[in-house]
Amino acid sequence: MKKKAAKRVAGLSILNLFFILMCFITLIPILYAFLLSISNESSAFGSGFLLPRNPTLKNYEAILLEEPFLVWLKNSVVLSLGTMILAMGTSVTASYAFSRFRFRGRNEMLKLLLILNAFPQILSMFAIFRLFKNMNLLNNYIGLILIYAGSMCIFSIWNMKGYFDTIPIEIEEAARIDGGSPGQIIWKIILPLARPSIIVTAVMVLIFVWNEYLFATTFLMREENYTLAGGLYQLQANDYSRSWSLFSAAAILVSIPILLVFFSIQKYMISGLTAGGVKG
Amino acid sequence: MKKKNKFLPWGYSFSSILLIGLIVVFPIIYTIYISFTNMNLYHWTDYEFIAFSNYRRALTKLDSGFMSALFTTIIWTVLNMVIQIFVAYLVALGLNVKGLKLARLYKTLLMFPWAMPAYVSILLWRVGMYNPQYGLLNKILSALGFSKVDFLSENIPAFLSCMVLNLWMALPFLIMMMDGAFQSVDNSYYESAKLDGAGWWAQNLYITIPSIKPILAPSIIMTTFTTFKQFDIIYLLTMQKGSLTGATLQTVITYAHQNAFVSNNYGLSSAVSIVIFGFIILFSLFINRGIREEKA
Repeated sequence: MKKKAAKRVAGLSILNLFFILMCFITLIPILYAFLLSISNESSAFGSGFLLPRNPTLKNYEAILLEEPFLVWLKNSVVLSLGTMILAMGTSVTASYAFSRFRFRGRNEMLKLLLILNAFPQILSMFAIFRLFKNMNLLNNYIGLILIYAGSMCIFSIWNMKGYFDTIPIEIEEAARIDGGSPGQIIWKIILPLARPSIIVTAVMVLIFVWNEYLFATTFLMREENYTLAGGLYQLQANDYSRSWSLFSAAAILVSIPILLVFFSIQKYMISGLTAGGVKG
Repeated sequence: MKKKNKFLPWGYSFSSILLIGLIVVFPIIYTIYISFTNMNLYHWTDYEFIAFSNYRRALTKLDSGFMSALFTTIIWTVLNMVIQIFVAYLVALGLNVKGLKLARLYKTLLMFPWAMPAYVSILLWRVGMYNPQYGLLNKILSALGFSKVDFLSENIPAFLSCMVLNLWMALPFLIMMMDGAFQSVDNSYYESAKLDGAGWWAQNLYITIPSIKPILAPSIIMTTFTTFKQFDIIYLLTMQKGSLTGATLQTVITYAHQNAFVSNNYGLSSAVSIVIFGFIILFSLFINRGIREEKA
């Protein structure tokens, strides 16, 4: 019996060692960027890649004060909030309708939305670009918000419909018997009940816009319009022997809010993704 | 009892249908329209209809590059998916070993690549890992006495570099999904299997895999789609505007983008886009049928 226990302990230690090593290797790129962001520029490309000798916050100071980082941040916030308001404003009632009503065209509509969701928007990017160019919507936040909101609306409908499906319809019937009007029922009963799903969906829309770079760099070409993605892209496209430590500082700054948000809603995200995911 | 009403639901969903129609559906229709024209930089407004010429060029002429891009995409998707499923399975298995007290901590740490904004990770890898002069990989290589390697300058090393990065970014999702699926398997199955004398292989093959398959199907299908349409990694690593690395790797998506925004063959690019969309629709119909049959 003792021998068996010893074997077990040995096995667990090997497993622990394996996971520690694996976590370390996984985190290397992030750790390396962090170390560079607090190192002096001169030592950033020295021979060593261990801890920097005299850590400094100089790069963070430089990125915040000398580069237009705060402008990029403002642009990203404007885009994210605008998209969230438009996408959620249109999709909440739609997902309610698709969950609660049985009407002609409902199944076809849901299937169509699923196929559209699988369509990589990059494939119609040129068509949108040409249309927007003719309508003067390039270099314009409204244009980009419309693009983001269009694709996020599909995602949100599917994501929230799954949650509405789980709210028992009896609650609504009880409210109707008590004399509630349809509007009152939605505002006072259904929306509060669906709040967790609405919040998580809204946050996922925010994350999507925050992390999007292709449309942001293609449709916003003027420097004062750059989002965080456009700005970071520009930083690394420059001669990076000089700005690489600046770039890592910016990368860390951009990632921190997302990491915080991600880890706080992560639990709900997994269930939302699989529930709304691919079910036909 | 579900409500029946002809007009109210359309009223509720009118604004989103309008938005989706204008921003998602209309550009797709417009792409179809462009795919039948010879629109390019020189024919920006005075383009002509050339029927199926673009499709013929993409699908039958080998020098158009589409077929080789398709080939690369298929290899890319299959390799990535096989490795991902295999590695994620083993890691999740390890995470579920009884007595591993730190499993929660490991899970949180392993989730970081998933949480990071994708473009930030890719740019960090591009300069921090793969760069021939400053990249960490080359620093390690030269510290060990090897000569420096330019990872992104040729197709095969560039393909492998992109794949390593894709695995780094995508594995956390699948590991977490597998982990969740493992926890839903009833423990009593294993106990009775042990009593029957089933070994590790038999337990995995006859209990774990069959029970997690239906739970995992949606996430695996989703990952396959994202792998197939992966654009960011290949684009940002090897073909940024003004800093091509030398590799000429193309997947179907980068091929469509390249033709629209670099070589300005709008007609050809649109035709390719429609073909890819066709593939995606076929693939999803095929999968939907598979799922329905499994349920029935």
